[in-house]
Amino acid sequence: MIKVHADLDALKGFHEALVRFRYAQRGVAERGRDEIEVSRASLAAKAGRWQARLEQCQAELDACRAGEGEATADCSVYARAVEQTSERLEHVRRWQQRVDLEAAEFGGTASAYLDLLEVDLPRAESQLLAIITSLEAARRIPAGET
Amino acid sequence: MTARPDRDGDEQLGLLSTAWEQAARHWQDEVARHFDADHWTPLAQRSRAYLAALGTLLDMLETAERETEF
Repeated sequence: MIKVHADLDALKGFHEALVRFRYAQRGVAERGRDEIEVSRASLAAKAGRWQARLEQCQAELDACRAGEGEATADCSVYARAVEQTSERLEHVRRWQQRVDLEAAEFGGTASAYLDLLEVDLPRAESQLLAIITSLEAARRIPAGET
Repeated sequence: MTARPDRDGDEQLGLLSTAWEQAARHWQDEVARHFDADHWTPLAQRSRAYLAALGTLLDMLETAERETEF
């Protein structure tokens, strides 16, 4: 039998801390996933708004150009609006791509960490509990009987 | 205001590290060394790496939100 020299209360405290940590980190991982989804949804909503705005600007530009035959209409204001709106839409889309890319990369790290929480950590808790149980049993045996 | 999850995770890891230090102070035999090498050190290292990666990602998400406000 392996002899364990330890403070029983400190080991029990550490075991309880391990269990609390596992639950807390699960919550951290869930909140991390939520943050990614909220960010994606927000960027998608922005892209949708700028897409609609671009279509509106383009329609205004087209209408202006269609009226050019009647008079020499200056459509530059509408053309600038189309250009600026298009740039903003592209800017949002680039951020969407970056978020997707980095979230996918992080997904691998997150998945491995969840495995650690779900598989390795309970194993550590069980081993520690076995050590505590063995230590408690050993301390119940009066000195001289070992 | 709710703290960011990576910061909450760091705080939890700090509490766990303190509990480990208290246990390890009185637990210095062969079993403790194995537990440290097989469980505690990998757990602490991987938790730190995960929380750092989460922090970097959340920083990026905040930047994305800010940079796309017109």
